[in-house]
Amino acid sequence: MPKAKFIIAILALSLIGFGWMVIGFETEEVPFISVSDLIEHHESYTQEKFRLGGNVLDGSIKYSEDKLDLFFELKQGEATLSVKHHSAAVPDLFKDGTQVIVEGVYKNGVFVADNLMTKCASRYEEESNYESKSSQTI
Amino acid sequence: MISIFGSSLISLAFLLTITSLGLNLWYLKSKDSRVYVAGRNAMISACLLTFSAGGTLVYALYNSDLSLTYVNKYSSVFTPTIYKISGFWAGMEGSLLFWVFILSIFAIIVLYQNRNKYVSLMPWVTIVIAIVMSFFLFICLAFENPFAPVDGPIKMGSGLNPLLQHWAMLLHPPMLYLGFIGFTIPYAYAIAAMATQQLDASWIRLTRRWSLFTWMLLSIAVVMGGKWAYMELGWGGYWAWDPVENASLFPWLTGTAYIHSVIIQEKKNMLVRWNMILIMLTFTLTIFGTYLTRSGIVSSIHAFAATDLSIWFFGFVMFLVSLNIGLLIYRHKDLNSQNQLDSFASREAGFVFNNMIFVAMMLVVLWGTLYPVMTEALRGVQIRLGPTWFNQKLIPFGLVLLALTGIAPLLAWRKTSINSIKRNFSLPIVLSFITGIITFSLGIRKVYPLITIILIGFVLSTILLEFYRGTKARLKSSGENIFNVFITIMDKNRSRYGGYIVHIGILMMFLGFTGKAFDQEADVSLSPENNTVELAEYSFELKEYWQESPNSHPKKRQNHKAEITSIDIYKNGAFYTNLKPERRIYIDQNSQPHSEVALKTTLNKDIYIILGSLDLKTGMATLKIRLNNLVSWVWLGTLVLIFGTLIALLPNRKLDE
Repeated sequence: MPKAKFIIAILALSLIGFGWMVIGFETEEVPFISVSDLIEHHESYTQEKFRLGGNVLDGSIKYSEDKLDLFFELKQGEATLSVKHHSAAVPDLFKDGTQVIVEGVYKNGVFVADNLMTKCASRYEEESNYESKSSQTI
Repeated sequence: MISIFGSSLISLAFLLTITSLGLNLWYLKSKDSRVYVAGRNAMISACLLTFSAGGTLVYALYNSDLSLTYVNKYSSVFTPTIYKISGFWAGMEGSLLFWVFILSIFAIIVLYQNRNKYVSLMPWVTIVIAIVMSFFLFICLAFENPFAPVDGPIKMGSGLNPLLQHWAMLLHPPMLYLGFIGFTIPYAYAIAAMATQQLDASWIRLTRRWSLFTWMLLSIAVVMGGKWAYMELGWGGYWAWDPVENASLFPWLTGTAYIHSVIIQEKKNMLVRWNMILIMLTFTLTIFGTYLTRSGIVSSIHAFAATDLSIWFFGFVMFLVSLNIGLLIYRHKDLNSQNQLDSFASREAGFVFNNMIFVAMMLVVLWGTLYPVMTEALRGVQIRLGPTWFNQKLIPFGLVLLALTGIAPLLAWRKTSINSIKRNFSLPIVLSFITGIITFSLGIRKVYPLITIILIGFVLSTILLEFYRGTKARLKSSGENIFNVFITIMDKNRSRYGGYIVHIGILMMFLGFTGKAFDQEADVSLSPENNTVELAEYSFELKEYWQESPNSHPKKRQNHKAEITSIDIYKNGAFYTNLKPERRIYIDQNSQPHSEVALKTTLNKDIYIILGSLDLKTGMATLKIRLNNLVSWVWLGTLVLIFGTLIALLPNRKLDE
């Protein structure tokens, strides 16, 4: 078999592979933005889902009566945002003041998070990668 | 005291590594065998010192020597003994020392095994190992010294994060490190082969067992990480395409490509350059993976807080990349293969496609993992790609790979005739169709799981056919009984049949992956008044709840108290089992809570319950209940994979005799 034929086949396959990799991922993109950016400019983003980071405002944690809905205020800098998260098991490290990352959609002034992750306390900085997860779906 | 002792051991080891590096370079110039012996002895001493440094840290952890910052951070007097020791690899400083610790064990084995052999390769092998070792020892000394003394008054010790107090976490990091570091050895031989221009397949033969063994450990490590996530993180799955998980997958993917493609070089003298690229890539990815997870460039909110450590690490990765590319260019003429691909319908071509897919998968994972970093640099906003993206992109690759697992071994070398294709593939294709029809009639309608199961049927029948044919041929000629014949054919060609068994393990894992599509989950709140909930054919009844503490259960609850619920589970109305999910409060961890998963595992289904909260006064408990399908097949498949690799690893009797 001529070498050229082989190289063309390899190139063609690589191209298909690369194309497959780079197309159509906009819908899966989750921008990591600031709370104030979300509140002011959420309409300018094409994506639906967002990822936010901040701290749980002290004293803001509330649960629904059946304890399955969690409400808290996410504080980042001066901005705060109400977050709602439905889950029977919040991450172990979740409490007042904890650094958290939330992923979800912004609806009528409330951020409905389908994913709530806690950043581990600073002394576990090495393990901060092992974020606790809840309600994650693959 | 122990601080000075430990630090001195590391410093001495560092100096000796550098000395050995120098001596080996000198030997290459002078060819004086005394210099070579001196260089080797310096290296062995450096390894022994590193080993002692590791031992010293373990000793300090075991005795809760709280005068060390590291012991303070990752252990406490309350930590159970076994987790005191695993504190060695729980934190940054310790794990970097642990890295060199393992490498020094490997280095000693290699140097000892080949003390009188391969005199031309060994100096270079030693040089490569010395470079890697001195880098990590330097990092330990300069930035992350595990023997740093406590600054200020001695405290009680924080104890090990309860998330890490799990058997899989005891074993996962050592396995992962063994799997990562093991690739240093084939890489060192590859570089030695490049340096000495001995670019035939001999370096590949020399490192065949190292590579396979390392690959097996890395496979175990990747799965064990998943097992740990499944048992400890409590969100119900085992893989989330987290940067840390991905980092362990990069070298696994290229390493898997490598252990396949070397077969082609050994048998057909092809893919010489490609194998070189793969081992370089694999080794560099192990260092890159460590850099990625240790520097936190991807996961940290404040990305690019460039610490000195991450600059050095990045520098080392860049050094390796330039060394690799430089050598590839410098020796490009020597890397040409003698033989070329004859046809696309050949086994060689099958292996080439297999390799392309593995590398493509690695690139996809790499792209997805670094996407936040890239978007931040280019667009100013970090954009993450979720697990859906990874699955969407990788499942098709995975399925093509699965198909190739069946096709490639049945193709003939050089060129496959149409007749042989008909003979080899008609039965498997028929069987896979039957599998598909059965699966479909069982009500499986989702596309990917259906295709996966059809392909599993196909590959499994090709493998069984191979076993059958081998056995039949010998049965005729030898007249022995079938069991003996079966053992004999396996024995005659261990790497081949070992490989098939590994493939069966992979099939079982793929079966496990399909289960994911049918998982069910419910978040529920139960109380004595409202104590039952249904999910699929199961009903869950809150039976009792109580608390246990170190006082009431000093042995079992050494460092925590626990809130426990007892849940009776009924299947189609009949009592099935009882599970006791619990929520622990770790006393030595600032009362950090931690939910322990309660699990009922069967081949078909895992019932997975997490206790989110329990009100001891009212008895109200929130539970996350999941029905996870076929998960056990992932773990069982891994065991089969280990078994198959071990068979392939057994020394070949013919060679030994």
